[in-house]
Amino acid sequence: MQVRQRVYLTPTAVRIWHWLNALGILTLCVTGAELRFPEYAAALGDYKAAVRLHNAAGLVVAVSYLLWFGYYAFVARTLIQLYVPRREELRTGVVRQGLYYFFHFFRGTRENPFHPTPQNKFNPLQKTAYLAIMFLCTPLVIVTGVLLMNVAPLRDWVVAVGGLRFLAAAHWLLACIFCAFVFVHAYLATLGHTPFAHFKPMWTGWEEVEGGGAGGRHSKAA
Amino acid sequence: MSGAKRWGVGMLAVALGWGGVAGAMDTGECQGCHADPAIVKEGGGHLYIDGARYERTAHADVGCPSCHEGVSDAHPGDGLRPTRAGCGDCHDDTEAEYRAGRHADWAGCTDCHDPHEVKPTEVVSGPELNRVCTGCHDLGAVTASHGAWLLQPELHLEAVPCITCHTGAPGYVIAFYLERVEERPGRGPRVALATHAELAAVAGTERVERLVDGDADGIISLAELRAFNRGARGRGLRLWGMVLPDRVSHRYATLDDRWDCTFCHARGPEAAQVSTLSVPQADGRQRRFEVERGAVLDALYGTPDFYLVGATRNDTLSWIGLLIVAAGAAMPLGHGTLRFLTRNNRREG
Repeated sequence: MQVRQRVYLTPTAVRIWHWLNALGILTLCVTGAELRFPEYAAALGDYKAAVRLHNAAGLVVAVSYLLWFGYYAFVARTLIQLYVPRREELRTGVVRQGLYYFFHFFRGTRENPFHPTPQNKFNPLQKTAYLAIMFLCTPLVIVTGVLLMNVAPLRDWVVAVGGLRFLAAAHWLLACIFCAFVFVHAYLATLGHTPFAHFKPMWTGWEEVEGGGAGGRHSKAA
Repeated sequence: MSGAKRWGVGMLAVALGWGGVAGAMDTGECQGCHADPAIVKEGGGHLYIDGARYERTAHADVGCPSCHEGVSDAHPGDGLRPTRAGCGDCHDDTEAEYRAGRHADWAGCTDCHDPHEVKPTEVVSGPELNRVCTGCHDLGAVTASHGAWLLQPELHLEAVPCITCHTGAPGYVIAFYLERVEERPGRGPRVALATHAELAAVAGTERVERLVDGDADGIISLAELRAFNRGARGRGLRLWGMVLPDRVSHRYATLDDRWDCTFCHARGPEAAQVSTLSVPQADGRQRRFEVERGAVLDALYGTPDFYLVGATRNDTLSWIGLLIVAAGAAMPLGHGTLRFLTRNNRREG
């Protein structure tokens, strides 16, 4: 029988950030749809309320992002270690993890090749996705959003980056990528040894990890 | 001849004519003195009429005596104050419409319109329209009062002239203007409404409207807008749009439906489909060109600097975005289905 260890994987600050971010992104998706398609999507009814909520949620996500970045970059000092895939991970790890998710997982013949530790929480596929989402898409969607929220005061910069329509188009496509990411992210979180195995650590901080890969100092035998 | 001398000659002519047969002056005679800047020193700024601007008004067609009929050949030596016609003598419908609103309690016709310079709305830019309002209404105070309920008030007041919300109209058009973009190294570019001289410098030997209306047919097509926008930044130009009423009314009011953002920020088959492009002419007027209906506002490169959220979205981009979302949703559906079908493979022995 597989030995499982309990590992303290997600610190409180990160959990608060994650759920705040999740709420913010879902709010942004719903209100954003209403802003772009007012004749089809009227979840909030009042267009002005939708704009205000969208702006508020955008600010929450932007501040939240800065806190996340500051925490990992300057407090924990593990930003690069956790989120930037190493060359080996890009060369073979991504393929191996992809094969597991889309082939071996269905056959049930192999275990998940990745075992998270507090020092290495994300598998190569996750790292690659988060690299694109957190280091490219999030800053871009925040910058385009801030410019769109302040067109008159920042008009010179709006013009400099290519105009309002370009900004609106970029913001829309980035938002769609986030929306797609939410679907995939939430679904992949159900692929643990139980459907909620990956949700629990984001709520309690502790995760049950299969095998003996967990080497963190907080880990203990279950 | 200097202005002072001309004024003196005018006075002399009047003096010599004193006691002669009194008759009405014609417009040329009026302009002889009143279009001379020297009259400012002699009698005050209110006596000066900019002859060039006056000549471009519809009022020039009827001439000075039509409104100032009491002015005789003895003027100004007769000491009589010239008579002035009321605006309503000719514009009775407009006056009646204006008097019906509360604005009439605070301002008369000439508080907004100088009859010696007045131009039809079609040849005036949106920023010029707003300058009439800010003559009395302090822009800072207006921005602050609108900011209490309106998001991005500066942007709205830039893109929506006051009359768009404060007068009723059967319909609205998107009016585009050409702006000059001055690049400033190390800082953002500075933009301002382009003058005819600035456009002429870019157009060279061509007429300025050819900058956009490539085939000179008087109608701006989608292809012409795209062509303009592709090279606009390189030439220091860009398009800026404003929402204007298609028929100007003088019934000023705070209209209830303007509190609702979807009055403008909604999209229906007829919303925001009509647009025009105004190009400044050598005489200071704007010439309006009809722009291809509908599609222009949907086009990504048609109007790079005008975006009316919820109304002028690009359909192609909407579909691309929705496909991205659909792909994200398809992954859990597809993987989840296979996961369900192969669930027996993962049961622990």
